[in-house]
Amino acid sequence: MMRDLTMRQTAPAGFPSTGKSGESSLAGRILASRPQTLLILNVILIAAMAIAYPANFATQANFSAVLLNAAQSGILVVGMMILMIGGAFDLSIGSTLALSGVVAGALVGWLGYPAELGILAGIATGAAAGLVNGLIVTRLGINPLIATLATLSIYRSLTQLIGASGVTPISNAFKFYGQVKFLGLQSPFWVMLVIVVLGAWAVARTKVFRQYYFIGGNARAAQLSGINVPRLTLMAFVLMGALAGLAGVLAAARLNSAVVSAGIGVELSVITATVLGGASLKGGEGTIIGGVLGVLFIALVQNAMIINGIGVFWQGMIIGLVLLLAVSLNRFKQRSAR
Amino acid sequence: MVLRLEVRNVSKSFLGVRALDKVSLSVAPGEIHALLGENGAGKSTLSKIVAGVYDADEGEILLDGKPLHGLTEASAARAGIGIVHQEGSLIDHLSVSENIYSGRPPTSFLGQIDRRKLRSWSAELLAQLGLHIDPDSRVADLPSALRQVVEIAKALSHRPKLLILDEPTAALTLTETDELFGVVRNLASQGVAVIYVSHRLGEIFELCHRVTILRDGHYVDTVKVSETNTEALIRLMVGRDLEFAREPASAPPGEALIEAHAISSGPDVHEASITVRRGEIVCLAGLVGSGRTEFCEVLFGARRRESGEVMFKGRSFRPRQPRDAMRAGIGMVCEDRKETGLFLERNLVENTAVTVLDAVSTGLVVSWAKAGALAETFRESLGIVTPSVYQKVGLLSGGNQQKVLLAKWLATKPALLIVDEPTRGVDVGARSEIYRILRELRSEGVGLLVVSSDLPEVLALADRIVVMADGRTVGELSGAEADEVSILRLATVNTQTGLETMETA
Ligand SMILES: Nc1ncnc2c1ncn2[C@@H]1O[C@H](COP(=O)(O)OP(=O)(O)OP(=O)(O)O)[C@@H](O)[C@H]1O
Ligand SMILES: [Mg+2]
Repeated sequence: MMRDLTMRQTAPAGFPSTGKSGESSLAGRILASRPQTLLILNVILIAAMAIAYPANFATQANFSAVLLNAAQSGILVVGMMILMIGGAFDLSIGSTLALSGVVAGALVGWLGYPAELGILAGIATGAAAGLVNGLIVTRLGINPLIATLATLSIYRSLTQLIGASGVTPISNAFKFYGQVKFLGLQSPFWVMLVIVVLGAWAVARTKVFRQYYFIGGNARAAQLSGINVPRLTLMAFVLMGALAGLAGVLAAARLNSAVVSAGIGVELSVITATVLGGASLKGGEGTIIGGVLGVLFIALVQNAMIINGIGVFWQGMIIGLVLLLAVSLNRFKQRSAR
Repeated sequence: MVLRLEVRNVSKSFLGVRALDKVSLSVAPGEIHALLGENGAGKSTLSKIVAGVYDADEGEILLDGKPLHGLTEASAARAGIGIVHQEGSLIDHLSVSENIYSGRPPTSFLGQIDRRKLRSWSAELLAQLGLHIDPDSRVADLPSALRQVVEIAKALSHRPKLLILDEPTAALTLTETDELFGVVRNLASQGVAVIYVSHRLGEIFELCHRVTILRDGHYVDTVKVSETNTEALIRLMVGRDLEFAREPASAPPGEALIEAHAISSGPDVHEASITVRRGEIVCLAGLVGSGRTEFCEVLFGARRRESGEVMFKGRSFRPRQPRDAMRAGIGMVCEDRKETGLFLERNLVENTAVTVLDAVSTGLVVSWAKAGALAETFRESLGIVTPSVYQKVGLLSGGNQQKVLLAKWLATKPALLIVDEPTRGVDVGARSEIYRILRELRSEGVGLLVVSSDLPEVLALADRIVVMADGRTVGELSGAEADEVSILRLATVNTQTGLETMETA
């Protein structure tokens, strides 16, 4: 029974401690922020698995597998979180990812350009795809759902037209960028780490990215407060596209192969992680840290299923239930603030 | 006689903030009972408790002598309690009639909504309120004054025995206020009890029988309106005397800051012209719907200008978006703080910093220390009542929200400040504060363009008064010579025929 939507009491995302806002009960305080809730869930999951399966789970090999697994979604969740804080989202990221990988692969593997140029071209392709999404949304005023649903299909088809049955192998120089190891972990993880740290800092602290909270909170008021709403929205789409491009290039490099079916369905798991991480569809909420913890949680659940020997078909069920649980926790919190 | 409503020793706290402390109130059938108090005194909280929105922490509520328990909004409505909330409760994308009967639409015998009845009932209710709008029009398309009337129609649709009006006239002008008063008096004469919340003391003397004063959540007193006066009420409310007389500028105005000639935009603004000089307050008066807000939006770059010339600081000026106007040194406090003014889910610090992100940043990074200090300054200077500057603005009382809205633009130190309804929903203490602030800005050489529907306010503030009617600027009066009648006469000029239609004066 929710009476008044404006009566919510939550700490503003990414804002320095708001202990004064008055969460009193212990449960209230723990649930006060989504990142905290998720962190606790992750710790519980890790601890339970480490105790139950010390030989399979708590090994360096397994951890690096989990982290590598999470790297792609971790890169994407940064862009998606920024979009969703600003009240938009992008369904076309899976197609963008494949398109960028194929463009990079074709330039390097078929046309013999240097690997570095291929990588840059892949990222630029992603950014261009994002630019198109952004222009459709901001100039034509078509909502992000319809706009990116359309480009999801367009970009995928473009990928198939360019890449035919894919580019395999690409080149050894190209492969290097996706497979080189540092401290036992492959490069995609390190790239993700850099992007996540930069993204978290930017969204929490910088004036450019802070503005997305205002846009998502009340776009009209933001515009009237002197925020250039269309331009910033466009920028968020371009950033999302560039990150999808980067993820696509890394995936191609890791496998030394650009597949036209790469990234099918990633938009759903990334949006799931974003919402799990505290974003809401109407915008104005969420943190990068939350999104990353959401990604980690999903990766851990997948890993636990494999080790447990529970059929992979159960994965979707568990993740869906956790999503519902996380969102209903928020509702519960709103009600108790009445 | 049994009292219609009895509130006994009701208390309510929000997360440590004591909003009401053992407050009592009684209203007889047919009585119009005013609830008076400063911003944050607890008027809306008390109203919401009676209407079942909040649960009281302690105390009793009796309707017609019978105690009400476990009240919810639905059960309160069934029991005959109607409320018009201070902050709107309409659903934007639904039609007027759907909103009015959102609780229980008329149905035909198969249970589907009877559209014809819905429309005719709504039209009837609206006509009763003196409003002739199409019940099928979308609420989102209505100006805020008309939305307010729809809110009232919605509350009346339940045929309440007790009607609570929380600042219903904040968005209305004189004409609509008169209509509303007619309706309220009529209801009272039929035995409906009315609780009336307003910061406009004049209205209380005109409409109400008794008045209960709250201060900081405490009950202060209940007095008969016929046995008191404005000064006494102000003293009960704020504990000291306040002055609202006109204060002319101490120095003559400087050179012209903004000169707008023959501005037209859409159906709302036709060849409107205005000049504002440094160090003067120009008030834009007119009826609701006369295009005042729209005209200001054009000057601020928030609305497309189709023709006309604007000079700002001596140079041709054509802002494409508010950002351009802001950079040039113009600020605009807009009239609807909830829809277009504030970020209700964000705290005070962010709401005041949003217009000055550059100033509160070091390089690329926002300095929350600077932003927090800025918010603290305004909390102090404007007297914003809040447990902390990190409180969400949506949780503040209406008047305090208005002060935050003002703070956000004062922070930009504008050369020209456009203020659309500066004191909507603001208590007398804050009102005199806001007047003081506007006058101080004037003495610092800021040009002020103030839109106000409150004529006493126009007369108290203005050095010059420009009157609009039907999207045109139809005349200008000097603040020293104008009175309510002369403003109204201009405002009701029928621009098509040149005839005056003076149904209000
Ligand atoms: N849901 C809420 N959560 C926290 N605090 C609240 C909530 N609602 C009201 N308050 C606080 O309770 C106090 C009383 O608020 P209320 O809205 O009743 O004042 P008011 O008399 O209606 O003021 P105004 O004239 O400005 O409308 C204020 O300090 C306000 O900040
Ligand atoms: Mg109130």
